[in-house]
Amino acid sequence: MARGVMLVSGGIDSPVALHYLLRQGHEMVAVHMDNRPFTDDSPLAKVVDHLALLRERYRQPIPLYLLPHGPTQVTLMRSTDRHFGCVLCRRFMWRSAERIAAREGATFLATGEALGQVASQTLSNMRSATASVQLPIVRPLIGFDKQEIERVAKSIGTYTISTRPGVCCQAVPDKPATRSNLVQILKEEERVDVETMIDDCVRKAVIL
Amino acid sequence: MYRRLRLCSNRGGYEAVAEPRHPIDLVGARARLEAERIPVVDARVMLIARLDAEVTISRAGRLLFKTQDPRVAERTFERLRSILGLPAMEEASGPGPVSG
Repeated sequence: MARGVMLVSGGIDSPVALHYLLRQGHEMVAVHMDNRPFTDDSPLAKVVDHLALLRERYRQPIPLYLLPHGPTQVTLMRSTDRHFGCVLCRRFMWRSAERIAAREGATFLATGEALGQVASQTLSNMRSATASVQLPIVRPLIGFDKQEIERVAKSIGTYTISTRPGVCCQAVPDKPATRSNLVQILKEEERVDVETMIDDCVRKAVIL
Repeated sequence: MYRRLRLCSNRGGYEAVAEPRHPIDLVGARARLEAERIPVVDARVMLIARLDAEVTISRAGRLLFKTQDPRVAERTFERLRSILGLPAMEEASGPGPVSG
């Protein structure tokens, strides 16, 4: 079995995806992008509780890296076209996760993405977002619909955690682009110092 | 005029929406908040200010108070209103902010 890094958000999908990979026997590391002050404390609290449950169930330590993503969001919002906010955000998340993977000796990245649920999950936007990394990306839930994911979440006990009250991410643009191409995205990234921002974010990671 | 505070869709905070729309000049708002020594994060398209509750202020005038306590949300709104000169909130016809 392999060692992988999973992006975990506190939402319904990511703990379900993590559950499937753990069930297969993979060793997993979790990365949570801390979006405060664009959210409240609830996503982190949910992630902590999700992992406590899954650690107990699968008897794995599942280290959690907490990366400060708020400053990145501020820079992106101030400097780039808002329509591409979700794709740009995802690119930063993926590259940060890949740095953590290198640190942890992980050979793949993973996410709870399913196709088409939100703006960042169209094929076009997924392609733009993941072009930023080299490691393979595993999506255990890619063919699931929302109802199926919720059913599994309820069966493993993460649904009630995921649906606790919380503030939605305020960094999501009012009209996010549902399509993008890499040329457009790279042009936006030229407006910011991507590598320094990622270095800064990963350097300030806290392990919980 | 601001409509009465409503619990936001994910139930984690209270939001206030102005009708008719009341755009907020975020540059001026930041200056006024900082003059009151209120910490502000300036994301250009929104401000996030830390009063009794942390509040997101959008250019469109929407306010999101990150608290599940309606009294804290109301108190924060009133303070923000006095600092930024915002319109008043509509008179309550019932017992308090609207849930759901």
